[in-house]
Amino acid sequence: MTDERPDRIRGAYARLLGLYPQAFREQYADELLQAFDDRRSEPRFVGTVGGWRLVLFLLRDFVTSVPMTHHRRNDRRGVEGIMNDILRDLRFSVRMLLKNPMFTIAAVTTLALGIGLNAATFSTVYGLLLSPLPGTEDPDELVQIYREWPGIEYGSVSVPHYQDIRDRTEGVFDDVASWYLEPLSVASDGRSERTIGMVVSANFFQTFGVQPALGRAFIPGVEDRDPGAHAVAVVSHGFWESRFGADPGVVGRSISLNGHPFEIVGVAPADFDGPVNFAAPPIYVPLMMANVLTPAFNRLEARGSNSMNVVARLRDDATLDRATERLDAVLLQLREEYPRSYENQVGHTVVLQRDAGIHPSFGDAQRGMSTVMMVVVGLLLLIACVNVANLFLARARDRQREMGIRLSMGASRLRIIQQLLTESLLFSLVAGAAGLGLANVATGFLANFRPPIDGPWAFNVETNSAVLWFTASVSLAAGFIFGMAPALQSAKPDTVSAIKGASSARVGRSRASSALVVAQVALSLLLLISSGIFLRSLQAATQIDPGFDSPRNLVMASVDPGLQGYEEARSRAFWDRMLDEVSALPEVSGVGLAVVAPLSLGSSDRTVNVPGYEFAEGERASLHYTYVSEGYVEAMGIELAEGRSFTRQDDENGPPVMIVNQRFADRFWPGQSALGKIVETGGREWEVIGVVETGKYNSLGEDPTEFMYFPLRIMFRSDRVLVARAEGDPQAVLQRVQQIVRAADPEMPVYDVRTMEDHMGIALLPARLAGSVLGIFGLLGLTLAAVGIYGVMAYSVSQRTRELGIRVALGADRGSVLQLVLGEGLRLAALGTLIGLGGALAAAQLVRGLLYNASPIDPIAFTLVPLTLLGVAALAVYLPARRAARVDPIGALKSE
Amino acid sequence: MTDRSRLEAVLPLSPTAFHMLVSLADGPRHGYAIAREVEDLTEGRIVMGPGTLYGSLQRMTASGLIEEAENPGDDGLHARRRRYYRMTRLGSAALRSESERLLRAASVAQERLGT
Repeated sequence: MTDERPDRIRGAYARLLGLYPQAFREQYADELLQAFDDRRSEPRFVGTVGGWRLVLFLLRDFVTSVPMTHHRRNDRRGVEGIMNDILRDLRFSVRMLLKNPMFTIAAVTTLALGIGLNAATFSTVYGLLLSPLPGTEDPDELVQIYREWPGIEYGSVSVPHYQDIRDRTEGVFDDVASWYLEPLSVASDGRSERTIGMVVSANFFQTFGVQPALGRAFIPGVEDRDPGAHAVAVVSHGFWESRFGADPGVVGRSISLNGHPFEIVGVAPADFDGPVNFAAPPIYVPLMMANVLTPAFNRLEARGSNSMNVVARLRDDATLDRATERLDAVLLQLREEYPRSYENQVGHTVVLQRDAGIHPSFGDAQRGMSTVMMVVVGLLLLIACVNVANLFLARARDRQREMGIRLSMGASRLRIIQQLLTESLLFSLVAGAAGLGLANVATGFLANFRPPIDGPWAFNVETNSAVLWFTASVSLAAGFIFGMAPALQSAKPDTVSAIKGASSARVGRSRASSALVVAQVALSLLLLISSGIFLRSLQAATQIDPGFDSPRNLVMASVDPGLQGYEEARSRAFWDRMLDEVSALPEVSGVGLAVVAPLSLGSSDRTVNVPGYEFAEGERASLHYTYVSEGYVEAMGIELAEGRSFTRQDDENGPPVMIVNQRFADRFWPGQSALGKIVETGGREWEVIGVVETGKYNSLGEDPTEFMYFPLRIMFRSDRVLVARAEGDPQAVLQRVQQIVRAADPEMPVYDVRTMEDHMGIALLPARLAGSVLGIFGLLGLTLAAVGIYGVMAYSVSQRTRELGIRVALGADRGSVLQLVLGEGLRLAALGTLIGLGGALAAAQLVRGLLYNASPIDPIAFTLVPLTLLGVAALAVYLPARRAARVDPIGALKSE
Repeated sequence: MTDRSRLEAVLPLSPTAFHMLVSLADGPRHGYAIAREVEDLTEGRIVMGPGTLYGSLQRMTASGLIEEAENPGDDGLHARRRRYYRMTRLGSAALRSESERLLRAASVAQERLGT
């Protein structure tokens, strides 16, 4: 270490020599390095402390010598002079900021919106994809390990497989940990709730290098042996605060998980939220307790059951390639030992934790999305910069005289550029601070965003130091971009004419800014109309027939008795009791059970064979299905077209029966009754006993699809959703349902409790998100366009003061001058609107698949938005036009 | 430019330049040796890093106080070629007049303090 440091210092020193002027470097570079070496060998600069002393010594040397070598001998300003200049420039800039509040507000708002949007987007991208796992030690050494199958690059692993990896890769990994998410019923102090906990190997915290805030972590070598022996748990910091009021005595207390007592042994630190970027598991349980939590299934020994995620810490001397090689060798051994389990597996995939993002299988998609987002917001910022540059240019005209006078008094152009850049940098820093505030508000919303599906969501989105650096650099870059052009312009004027007040024609530049205004109007119109299309489509979605009756009066609640340790018979008894008691409620007219509620964005499908029907090549034989109880069809208000629905007698002892929807019947038995027909699937033959109307099953926007219902009683799964048709207040019914569950078992958690109407909000989520994001971008675009139009028109009016003055002097009335300027600005806006409308028409065709209405060319979006935009544009043009109309002809002419 | 006006242009010497000239009074030295000598002369009050040292050497060369000298070739341990500097006639005159000025100032101060 001590041997290395001076060399690193020397390397850094050699690079920093670039700070000196080239001539000086050419002449003395060898000597400087020689002197460095001489210094380095002095006793006081030896060793670690000496190394730091040397760094400080060299820093001081740079501070004194760099300015000294940059200034010619006769330059009397010196360092002090420069500092004085900067202070004077700053004071002057602050005065300019305050003197012209309207200008300041317009410029700062524009920039703040651009910077804020960039900071917010960067925070999101950073938080979800780029940030190293917070709270972990040396996150760069962490890798994720997946099993690779043909066609599956990132497969999970089984517990025995994980243990083999852990025990056979000592040469390349310091530690190999694993985890999976498991729904848990958590009860303590008589309160119960359902959450998603994390079941982890005993070395989990050690692998991440996480020290508990209180108590201890799990003990490797002890708590990863003897299945079921160590009923201990670590709670997250957040859960400790919310559930236990940050009670320091929590360690040692008992908590019930799935009906089993566990002892809390530790509290995780506040900055560690587990290895997943968007969820914060409240509870960690050792892997050896897996079979206690879910007794129905021997996860610990099932080599074929792949549900574990593996995280490993690379040894200092190991590389990814060596790790992969080692894992390949392990696979070869396992293939010999367990030929049946490994015949298909082709290898392992090792991914650096920092490259994994949300999940490596989304790799390209998440990178692509974030790149597109960053490019779009970057473009918006660029537009904001150009707009502010326009504003500055418009003002530079007012200050040409000032600059001319300063130049003729002997100010160097460099000094003037320096002054103007100070001003624009000050602007950009003020705007950067405001933008950061905006970004904070936006990320605050985002961090509190909860998808309408219960779970320990936590979006790790915040403005951290990476974001601060990003914002600071973006602000300074922005300040430089919008400051440089006007600064160069201003420092150039021909002194004589500038003082006289004559303006030089800059037709080329004004044409460029006109084109820019047109582009901005078009872009913001495109974004706003797209947003309008989505919002109108949401409206249309409420008109879609989901295939069941009024979702407002349909309530649902999910319960999983298996989480409380109920075995099959007890679970079934529990559910029968629920059906009986809920249907006995006077305010309920129907009740039923299903394994999953409709429109939950995801459903199962299975391959069917229909005797007498030939599937064409490539025709889809895998169809969606679900299991429902008796009473479900009636409670949902699904119309029965033929036959009957399920009864209590349709269980495993009865003949296999099924219900299909109309589309299914029409596809396989067109023109015939489907009743009594046979469908082969899952190794059995099923008789169709009923046909129901075709509804929506996955999402409201889906095309009509075939669907099958099987009786819930023929299979067992402990978690179910209860649906009930409320005749009175649905919220009251929801309360009653929860009371009934609690009466049966006070510790039984009920989750996803809501009306079907609220539940359908999940299906509308993508459209709602797209509509909101586009809407925000569109509004921002509109603001930018308004500022842009204002800037260009104000500049044009200031350039043409004289011309307008002559017009007025020659008898043009104020109205016609107003009209002239208004017309000019509105022509630009109208051109942009036309182009934007064309783009929106094209975009509407692209997003067609996401929409719920028949035609994407929504008449309201396509008329209201352009009119609003033209209105805003008119206002932006009106302000400078009014100024033009007030031109004092005498003053305008005299100024020449 | 007369010698007189050239001398006036470089006076008064900065403390650093003064001590650097002193270190060259008994013969040419290379840069690092000058820095070490100045450090000794000022009892560690003036410590020059590489940049400050060569920045000063550049300025003093430009104003004619010093000039590059031939490498005497007796580097011994450091066989590598180093740049040597020696005092010019102007440098010598400046050092003399500066030290006289300091001497006068010092004796006035001592008289008034009564020592």
